[in-house]
Amino acid sequence: MDNELFMNAGVLSHPSEMTSLSSSSPPAMLNWASMETHPLEQSITRNVPRDCFFGEKSTEQSIFGSALNSLVSPPPSESNFSGGGAGENYVTRELVGDLGNIGDIYGAPASFGNGFGSCYATPMMSSPPLDAFSGDSRFAERAARFSCLGSRSFNGRRTNGPVAETASINGEMTRVSSNSALKPPAGESSGESSRKRKAKSKEHSPSTASPSPNLSKEVEGKEDSDSKRSRKSQENGENTKSLDPYKDFIHVRARRGQATDSHSLAERVRREKISERMKLLQELVPGCNKVTGKALMLDEIINYVQSLQRQVEFLSMKLSSVNTRLDFNMDALMSKDIFPSSNNQQVPQLESSSHILLADHHSHTLQLNPNDSSNNIMNPMETSESRSFNSQLPTLTHLTDSISQFSTYSEDDLHSIIHMGFAQNQIREPNQVHSTSFQGPSNQVPSHMKAEL
Amino acid sequence: MASADKPINTDVPEKDVFALHFLQSLSNLRRQNTFNSPEKTNDRVKKIKKAAYVSMARAAGGTNRLWSRALLRRAAKENNKVVRLPRRKKRVTCLRRRRSNRRDPVEEEEAERLRNLVPGGGGMETSKLMEETAHYIKCLSMQVKVMQCLVDGLAPK
Repeated sequence: MDNELFMNAGVLSHPSEMTSLSSSSPPAMLNWASMETHPLEQSITRNVPRDCFFGEKSTEQSIFGSALNSLVSPPPSESNFSGGGAGENYVTRELVGDLGNIGDIYGAPASFGNGFGSCYATPMMSSPPLDAFSGDSRFAERAARFSCLGSRSFNGRRTNGPVAETASINGEMTRVSSNSALKPPAGESSGESSRKRKAKSKEHSPSTASPSPNLSKEVEGKEDSDSKRSRKSQENGENTKSLDPYKDFIHVRARRGQATDSHSLAERVRREKISERMKLLQELVPGCNKVTGKALMLDEIINYVQSLQRQVEFLSMKLSSVNTRLDFNMDALMSKDIFPSSNNQQVPQLESSSHILLADHHSHTLQLNPNDSSNNIMNPMETSESRSFNSQLPTLTHLTDSISQFSTYSEDDLHSIIHMGFAQNQIREPNQVHSTSFQGPSNQVPSHMKAEL
Repeated sequence: MASADKPINTDVPEKDVFALHFLQSLSNLRRQNTFNSPEKTNDRVKKIKKAAYVSMARAAGGTNRLWSRALLRRAAKENNKVVRLPRRKKRVTCLRRRRSNRRDPVEEEEAERLRNLVPGGGGMETSKLMEETAHYIKCLSMQVKVMQCLVDGLAPK
């Protein structure tokens, strides 16, 4: 990977200059590498067509110079080219003079390059000091590109050689937000896909200085028509959008060969958002995996929602009819794990009680025909229930007990009984709902019920 | 323009929560004297259905979801009750329709249908609408499950 990079760099080599630089080159190179070879990338993107990479040295020199000029860097005399801070232009010029074509050194044999690779690696791995270059948005852009170039090789991408890299660089973002913190884009693939590379890391990395709220729409005039990139919604592992506390806007890169006016960019963002949600919906709606296309998907979704609503209506009809008659099967109610209990223990208990109450009440209002026999039955019921009313816990227990005992009785009897119990239970219900002590013995209720029945 | 996109959250509570709310609302219904009269089945059905929706809205989103707010508001209006929903940070009422953008006619037609289905959909932008739809679908299916369980539990043997 390093070799590729160095091949790229090597194109710019200028043997004559190299010797002069040799002494200062290693440290300069090191530091210069720490600046992420911005000029290199910038020069590549800017002026050098593919061929140039492998050929012209004169152009390289000029490119390099211009690149360095635009590069903000500390003075070359200092050995620590940490690359941070706003540099002075004179510094860059000096750099140009001194270093000549750093590419030469890049083009040096692999051994040298390996060293390079390491020094490349170091600054890249650490957070690139691009944060400092906040002042110059252009520079940041180039820096971004170049860092991508560097990082590409760092990540061990086996690109198709410098050609691919060039192509991808050419297809680079038109603009980079002036966030200078660039993270090496991890998810790169070679060749064409590298174009669509998720250099969103660049776009979305937090911007230390993002003056204009319309950064997302900002487009560099020069490379507009040629190199655009679309914003990927998925950064490889990093959701850069979430990383950015300052930015409220998504930075969009227009695709290659497409319009870059703010409207279409916004449109693209919107469309991508919608497609993202469509995917989410696709998982929800059963049987939507095969369907592709927004229209069909939406059809499916609409049908599903309609069917769900119809189901609710149907079930409510059924519920209303079921509750009109009491076919009281306490056993079935309690033993069945109707509502799987979650961590919240109170809930199922309430449900079980609510079950009973619900059914009871329904039956009560329907047929309340107490006969003599039921009266007899009711009396013991009353006494038992009155006793139980002193304490909340036994109330339900008693009620269910009595209900179970009398399940064999006629419906009328049951209804009256239940009515009695329920009317009194209703007072208790709010208490029962909130009573924590209810939980304890309520566990016993089902078993008790079963025993009774 | 576009806001930073946090991961879309479409969690719904457990089944128990739905069941709890629904049963509570049902038991409230029982207390009504006019309820459960065998003649007026339609009324009862409607009431049960409304109780189902309202309890679902309360269980699922409370007032944090657009559709639940719209549902609750609609239900309260039917009862001639005034419901005050807390204002959320985002203005849910502001209608941001960017007319200038190109709109896919097919998609828009579908979106309209979806808006009619999902409560509160009229005031939403399409992407937001789809978020709400996803949550709504989840809650609806949960509510259906709960009701099915209830019916099964109370079904005649």
